[in-house]
Amino acid sequence: MPAEKSEKYVENRPEQRCYKTGTILLMYTVGASIRYWLIFSRYQSIIGNHIEVSTPLNSWKRVSEGLYLQSKGINPYEGDLLHEAPVTMLLYRTLTQSLKLPVEITFLIFDIGTAVLLYFIARRYMFQLFVQQEESKEEYSEDSKEFLLAGPDFLNSPVFVAAAFLFNPYMVFNCVGLSTTVFHNFFLALFLCSMLYGSILLSTVSLAFCTMMSLSKIRAFVTVGVFILVMVSLKYISTVLSNGDAFIKNVYGFILTVPDLQPNIGLFWYFFTEMFDHFRDLFICSFQINATILYLIPLSIKFRNDPFLLTTAVLFLISVFKSYPCLGDVGFVLSLLPCFIHLFNYSQQGFLVGVIFLITTALGPILWHLWIYSNSANANFYFGVTLAFAIAQIFLVTDILFAYLKREFCLKNGKDRKIDGKDALLILE
Amino acid sequence: MPWFILTSKSDRFSEELLIKPLYSDHLYVHFQFATKWDTNPDQESFRHTHIFPRALGEIIERYNVQELHVSLAGGLWRYETWGYPILDAAPGAEVWAWFKADTEDVDKNWKELASSLSGLLCASLNFINVDNSVNPEYTFKPRGVVSDQKINSTYVRYASLPREIVCTENLTPWKKLLPCESKSGLASLLNSGYIHNVRYHSIAIHMRPVCRDDACEFTSLELQQSVSLVYDYLIMGTKNWSFRKLFGQGLMGPCPLSENSVIFVDTTSNVSVPFQLIPSPDDYITSVRGGHVSTFAKYNVKPYAMSINANYLGKESVLLNSPPSLHANQYITGYGQERGGIVTKIYNNHWGALEVVVLQNIPWYVPIYLHTLKIDVNGVRVEPVGIHYIPGRQRQRPYHLEILLKLPPRSVASVSIDFDYVFLKWQEYPPDANHGFYIGSAVISANLPLARNFTGLPQDGATIADSFNASRRGYLVQVRTENMVITLPTPDFSMPYNVICLACTVVALAFGPLHNITTKRLVLTVKDNEKLIVKIKNRIVKAWTERNSGSDVNQSVQ
Repeated sequence: MPAEKSEKYVENRPEQRCYKTGTILLMYTVGASIRYWLIFSRYQSIIGNHIEVSTPLNSWKRVSEGLYLQSKGINPYEGDLLHEAPVTMLLYRTLTQSLKLPVEITFLIFDIGTAVLLYFIARRYMFQLFVQQEESKEEYSEDSKEFLLAGPDFLNSPVFVAAAFLFNPYMVFNCVGLSTTVFHNFFLALFLCSMLYGSILLSTVSLAFCTMMSLSKIRAFVTVGVFILVMVSLKYISTVLSNGDAFIKNVYGFILTVPDLQPNIGLFWYFFTEMFDHFRDLFICSFQINATILYLIPLSIKFRNDPFLLTTAVLFLISVFKSYPCLGDVGFVLSLLPCFIHLFNYSQQGFLVGVIFLITTALGPILWHLWIYSNSANANFYFGVTLAFAIAQIFLVTDILFAYLKREFCLKNGKDRKIDGKDALLILE
Repeated sequence: MPWFILTSKSDRFSEELLIKPLYSDHLYVHFQFATKWDTNPDQESFRHTHIFPRALGEIIERYNVQELHVSLAGGLWRYETWGYPILDAAPGAEVWAWFKADTEDVDKNWKELASSLSGLLCASLNFINVDNSVNPEYTFKPRGVVSDQKINSTYVRYASLPREIVCTENLTPWKKLLPCESKSGLASLLNSGYIHNVRYHSIAIHMRPVCRDDACEFTSLELQQSVSLVYDYLIMGTKNWSFRKLFGQGLMGPCPLSENSVIFVDTTSNVSVPFQLIPSPDDYITSVRGGHVSTFAKYNVKPYAMSINANYLGKESVLLNSPPSLHANQYITGYGQERGGIVTKIYNNHWGALEVVVLQNIPWYVPIYLHTLKIDVNGVRVEPVGIHYIPGRQRQRPYHLEILLKLPPRSVASVSIDFDYVFLKWQEYPPDANHGFYIGSAVISANLPLARNFTGLPQDGATIADSFNASRRGYLVQVRTENMVITLPTPDFSMPYNVICLACTVVALAFGPLHNITTKRLVLTVKDNEKLIVKIKNRIVKAWTERNSGSDVNQSVQ
């Protein structure tokens, strides 16, 4: 692709080789219809009951139990089935009881809303990439011009992002299975969107909402003051709503100490099922540190030039290592990947990762059925699948990060990898 | 002050035996031992006791117990065919107790009481803890007198251990609580070799404060000890029973400390299935109770060897079993080890409506969802009159559900609720993990308007004789359902090291590359295409040539 073409990039004017608004709208309609059809079909309960979709943290069954208990005047945080924050419970109650929206439609609206937000996120990010590319063009090496992105890439990438969200089976299952990760993803997308558009207030508020829902999203690249303020006020509202601090133990204590060992696609469940009791605290601490803050500072330093890539990578790592991950978390980050269309040429393990994703996605439910229903397999089989799934995600995220470094290197030093005319290798040293 | 005890006769002991042929080819044998001690339960220190067992008294005093009810049962009482027992008991062990209102830490006392009882009865009651006990709001009201009218359910605790197996080792210490132990009196018939070879057996201790007289100015302490046995004619081999067949021996006279020692044989069924009693009874008693007439043959135990035989005359007419007014059963629904349901079916065979309370004490490893509670009466969805629900917490508290229901006449109510199978830590599974986990029986309480099939004692009585002609406004029954067993999914118990290694490997797989990416920089290095073997070969060749050339130099010098 000739480099000159990219200069014609104008944000709002679609070109010939780009998708038309009609096509995009059709895409959204199709995505929504698939969800609509599945959510009202008999497959809904089958999908919703799968442990890959609903974890103790996000299953709608537990939310309905909480709403029911609240309606009976029983404090749902007295028991330990409910792990949603009071603020989000208020949101669900408002949505389902006051506004009289059918639950399924609420989920559908929020999921499509997330898809719309993702489109704008990708568009904004692509615009930033374009600006950055234009600004630092002079610094790039002469023969690396062909690696630069061209206009259609910039314009199509948002469409790909939306498509990756709308037609990603993980996201479809997540929405159809009525997991509250849908709402979480919505606020996460809102956070990313406002972060990219530079609205500190909105981004902190939405991040605070995310954090209220699942603790592991505290990250350092926001204005800490506003964040703390919003957190404190949300916490206060929560306390008022639930008459006490019991919810803290039920929501955050639950996420941090992992008392429920129901299998999921993460690493925690079998590890802490088989853990020796006197090492439990040590490993819980180390696993939680690994999931949240271990990679945060090194990655922030290394990738400070591309906050969005950094955010995506951190989100990815959290979705691998958090205590109760679900397909909705993985799918959300996967659908952000088309934003990094410029890194795809440098990634090496796409095929491997794709194959592992396919195999584990198919094998997971099969082995689960063999273990739980047919009694002919055991926990090790399912554990093996979740391990492979986690490995695939890890390969993917390290591959993308490595690809970023390689691209940066190539842009600076040109595509020739030769020292004194001899073939040279690009290695980390 | 032994002279005081002897002269005032402040405590009285009575022993009774009831033998009742059941409709379904079973024989119900119930031993009832009652002690009443005219002492103030609040001030008694249990330093000196006469008939009342001091071992039990010390426990009661120490843990501030107002009322204590312990039962250990093997087998299940079949309400549908056997009617109601004199004292209900859940399969396994069941304890409920009221503590006095000045008890500071009820949970602590309860735990320690259970441990002490466990020592007293050689049962595993020490497994009773806060995490499997509830304080029932409606089901277990005090049976004895209470000083103040307000009954606060924070002072009652109920727990059942459905897995407990009851046998000789519980009976022997239980017999030691009796004044004559098993040396004489009716208790000498409790020969463990015989009485555990039955369909159902239960031993129980019930202690409560009661009114000393009708004026109820003073209170006394009452202790009931009972053994219930249900013999199966099939196991006995014949329908004709005798003391020798039932207990392996005859009776050698009453307990000398007992005030009265009586044997009753229910002869109500004699009309349809006639049998002849040898020797002939001393007396016949007709009891009209709640519109239900029954007759009993009465024997006074005399201070010499005696035995009672019953010979069936063989002229059987067709038996019609009228099921009791209220009975229930309980089962698990669903398949697999992911989601299941508990269904309790309650049958009201009475012609009037019945108000019942259903108590479910569901262990914490069976988390139930209250919003899935569904009550169908004759297939029509109904709403309960009231619900008392305390959600459980993992490893801390069971799920406590009490449902108030109004059952229409002649109806079947099915109460169903969904639960999830949980995954426990590997060390929380019992040694035989695939044996399964027990869920205790539900307790269904009702005040029956009719005494059909009812043999229970009235609330103001402690002996079987008190139940004759004891018509009351209602007859309290507390039906226990079956225990249930669920098999929770198990991990592979041989895997801990492997799992820890594998999971940590995955974490390391992320840590390694990320560490590299963040701490190192990309550089170009010269491509080294040579294979290892070639490298080694080149090095050897190089060394060789150097050495050779060195020797060449030497030679040239020479």
